[in-house]
Amino acid sequence: MKIAISLEEDKGLDSPASSVFGRCPFFMLIDADSKKYEIHENPARQATGGAGIQAAQWVLDQGAEIVISGNLGPKAFSVLSAGQIGAYQHTGGIAEAVLQAFQDDVLTCLLAPNVDAHSGTA
Amino acid sequence: MVITIASGKGGTGKTTVAANLAHTVAHKNAGTTWLVDCDVEAPNAALFLNPDLVEKKTVERQLPVIHQDKCTACGECVRACEYNALAVAGGKVLFFKELCHACGSCALVCPQGAITEKAEQVGMLEQGSSGDLRFAQGTLEVGFSSPTPVIRALKKWVVPEKNTNTFILDASPGASCPVVETLRGSDFALFVTEPTPFGLHDLKVVVELNKKEFKLPAGIVINKSGKNDRLIEDFAAEQELPVLMRVPLSRHLAEAYSSGILLVDVEPALKEEFLGLFAGIQDCINKGTV
Repeated sequence: MKIAISLEEDKGLDSPASSVFGRCPFFMLIDADSKKYEIHENPARQATGGAGIQAAQWVLDQGAEIVISGNLGPKAFSVLSAGQIGAYQHTGGIAEAVLQAFQDDVLTCLLAPNVDAHSGTA
Repeated sequence: MVITIASGKGGTGKTTVAANLAHTVAHKNAGTTWLVDCDVEAPNAALFLNPDLVEKKTVERQLPVIHQDKCTACGECVRACEYNALAVAGGKVLFFKELCHACGSCALVCPQGAITEKAEQVGMLEQGSSGDLRFAQGTLEVGFSSPTPVIRALKKWVVPEKNTNTFILDASPGASCPVVETLRGSDFALFVTEPTPFGLHDLKVVVELNKKEFKLPAGIVINKSGKNDRLIEDFAAEQELPVLMRVPLSRHLAEAYSSGILLVDVEPALKEEFLGLFAGIQDCINKGTV
């Protein structure tokens, strides 16, 4: 199962997870079982508008089944839910710990966006 | 003659200067004077001039309609969209109207012919008179993010390409698309600023925009003028921009403004100053075109 985690920096499994989704600097794509991962720059980071939509589309196109981020806005959420991607909220920490928390089933599953539009632009 | 009033920073007094200048010039000018409120996200010049807006016209744009029965979710439209207004997920195309710039690319690239276009109202144009002054304004519909089509339609409606009349265009704050759209085709850029670091900072941005994109003859009005004018004067001298008028920082004038009263109605002496400003603008245009 492929999981996408929004990241602040590219530091492997020690990368701090990002609180924003659409404009986070990097995404980790990690296989939950093998722990094999790749880190990619977020192509939507500098989008003039619709960053959440573009980021969600990218994550979907990478074949991720789960997204873990701090926040998720309404447009990104609607793309992910249309793609039947599960969305989970982390509360900070490094990527490895976030993945562990997901596997321990202690992360909150987002059933609705948890922030308003444009909350990640400031 | 088309004069665009811009500022960079909001709240420096663009509309105050535009409304007072237009009102004063309309009384004296031989031809017709127009004030065109191009700040379509928040048009407010009418508050000072109370025009009778008798003529109205809607502005429409062509927005895509996705026919899911023909759509194969190939994603061509998503890749064609520069504004991230489309996504393909779960075998369906999702459309986010508020991000759409109505460029038509999605309908053009769809290999299945599954996207057609439908007109939707995005703005309203109005025109009328306020005494000797002709007045027009545009208003962007709530929920749409792109003001430029409304500004373009407004200018097309009232500002002919060649004219002998005087058009004073009140631009929106900032130095982005709506200001560019308003400045386009103008003969003069009048920058209204205030002697504060913020006023100066944003003035620099809009002066730079004019230098790079339009090279229009330009001048400056210092509003809320007082002991810190040097801030603006030094920049004006460096840029060789004339300071054409100063409106003093005064409680008296601020109170008139806040009641929707023209400054020239509470301070008739300012009429001469606004006429002087207009003469200064004409001088600059004549010099600029020699």
